[in-house]
Amino acid sequence: MSEEYNEMELMTIVAGRDIEDEKIIYVGTGIPMLVTSLAQKARNLKITSIFEVGGIGPEMPTLPLSVACSRTTWRALRVADSSEAFEIAQSGYADYAFLGGAQIDKYGNLNSTVLGDYHTPKVRFPGSGGANAFASFAWKTMIIMNHEKRRFVEKVDYITSPGYLDGPGAREKVGLPPETGPYRVYTTRCTFDFDEGTKRMRLYALNPGSTVEDVIENTGFEVTIPNKIKENDPPTRKELKILREDVDPFRLILGRGEG
Amino acid sequence: MGIKILDEGTQIQAPKITPNEFREWVRDKKPRAMIDKTMDAKTAVKKFVKDGDIVAISGCSFVRIPVAILHEILRQGIKDLYIAGGTRSYDANLLMDNGRVSHYDAGYIIGLEVLGLPKMSRKIVEKAKAKGELTITEWDNATMAWRHKGAAMGIPFIPVRSMMGGDGFKYSGAIQVQCPFTHEKVVLVPSLFTDVALIHVHESDIYGNARISSGAVVEDWGKVRAAKRVILSTEKIIDTEELRKQPDRTFVPHFYIDAVIEAPYGSHPGNMPGMYYIDIEHLNEYMKVNQDTTGEALKQYYDKYVFSVNSFEEYLKKVGGKKKLKYLEDLEFLKVKPGGAP
Repeated sequence: MSEEYNEMELMTIVAGRDIEDEKIIYVGTGIPMLVTSLAQKARNLKITSIFEVGGIGPEMPTLPLSVACSRTTWRALRVADSSEAFEIAQSGYADYAFLGGAQIDKYGNLNSTVLGDYHTPKVRFPGSGGANAFASFAWKTMIIMNHEKRRFVEKVDYITSPGYLDGPGAREKVGLPPETGPYRVYTTRCTFDFDEGTKRMRLYALNPGSTVEDVIENTGFEVTIPNKIKENDPPTRKELKILREDVDPFRLILGRGEG
Repeated sequence: MGIKILDEGTQIQAPKITPNEFREWVRDKKPRAMIDKTMDAKTAVKKFVKDGDIVAISGCSFVRIPVAILHEILRQGIKDLYIAGGTRSYDANLLMDNGRVSHYDAGYIIGLEVLGLPKMSRKIVEKAKAKGELTITEWDNATMAWRHKGAAMGIPFIPVRSMMGGDGFKYSGAIQVQCPFTHEKVVLVPSLFTDVALIHVHESDIYGNARISSGAVVEDWGKVRAAKRVILSTEKIIDTEELRKQPDRTFVPHFYIDAVIEAPYGSHPGNMPGMYYIDIEHLNEYMKVNQDTTGEALKQYYDKYVFSVNSFEEYLKKVGGKKKLKYLEDLEFLKVKPGGAP
């Protein structure tokens, strides 16, 4: 049972299915808020979402426009402050963090600071926000991004949030808490995971309508292609209905997937 | 025997305010007596905000931000400000769009989160930085929160386990050392004491005993305790007796506070959790004027809403008055739908 959907809807729905129940998840601004809200509403999860400025376990009656807006503390379990929220992650409670970014490389390093040279950038973006700390502390970091060649690059212009840096053991070597790092990357074309040996991005599952060639062609680095590749199911009517009617009825983010 | 320094950021600065200087200021200048500190925004800004100040701002992005005070800073022409820029957005843009900022400690800069990246504001920042009129040191929302916290604790730095492996460290003022106890690598971030904190809250008495009644506290606990001067704006003035009934709900006691301004809807167009929601139409208007990269439309925006009005009350009338504000109250409690503003 399927109907028409745009790629933002598809990516959000695929990612939302992967959120593990009964875990603590840190939610970054933008698309991650959309995914988490959808997962809560469509799957009736008992997750505890944490927002970096203090919201712990809210219900999100409508899509938050900011990580601080009252939707991130609505019927919450507790309201803390930024220090506490980050300290909870630093001490090991962050099972997952969910982030977006402007650029990503094969080791899952994320850039949300500048395009081009740092001192003379083509574009200045907002920078880390909470992302650097999330990516440093979470046991598993989930990432969601539009799949375009200019975003999936050999080397990011600037590492805002550390992935596996330059390969196995690199995170531990620079001093980051051990056994942390990127887990999955959700895109408009596919889902990636990371090869345990090389720590490089590996094709995990294809989105409906997408092919291996399509992924290779639209990725700026060499993708690890395993023998077995899963296929992500298309959105169901129920998922689309909840996403459109209950999560983002004014298409503040979903609208970006049009045209 | 010393602690071994492993790496250093390129933006290390001697602290502008040290813990001992701060202690002396607290001893000599902070009010102890429960005295009436109410005044209007104009007087408070004139008295407590100066060119070149290190400024901390309450709330986050467009939530519980002290817009009434920020407008007054713009009207009084105060400039050359150093912004503590963790979780900042529309509020710091008000100052940066008008060229009032010379340094920014960046946790988050320019963007309006879900609403997007305002184009002209971005160009203003890029240009000012290229010309050397604006310097930026890279931090993030965690380390900025901890830098306020370190200052609030009265200590010179705080060790953290983030900022490693990325490029942010390189353009920061942090130092990496080997922990003398665990021998693991840690990053030391310098405490950030500020000259003035601008804090918007839900309720306060006339002395500055104040409550944040709803919503995320963000970095404000650290900001209030680590600023030489604190200007508090409040949605409502309440009786001290009210506060005494539930002291666990008091966010700050009076002695941190230098001025109390009664500013209903003082966070507009931002959200005041538990009272009124974000004025999305107004922020969309801000995003729209940002599309004009000559800067003319953005300039007109400020002329219309800030420079041609004398007070925040006048501004509130201009953005839609009582009818609009009632709508934002209803929106906060989901009684009306977004997009249907009067």
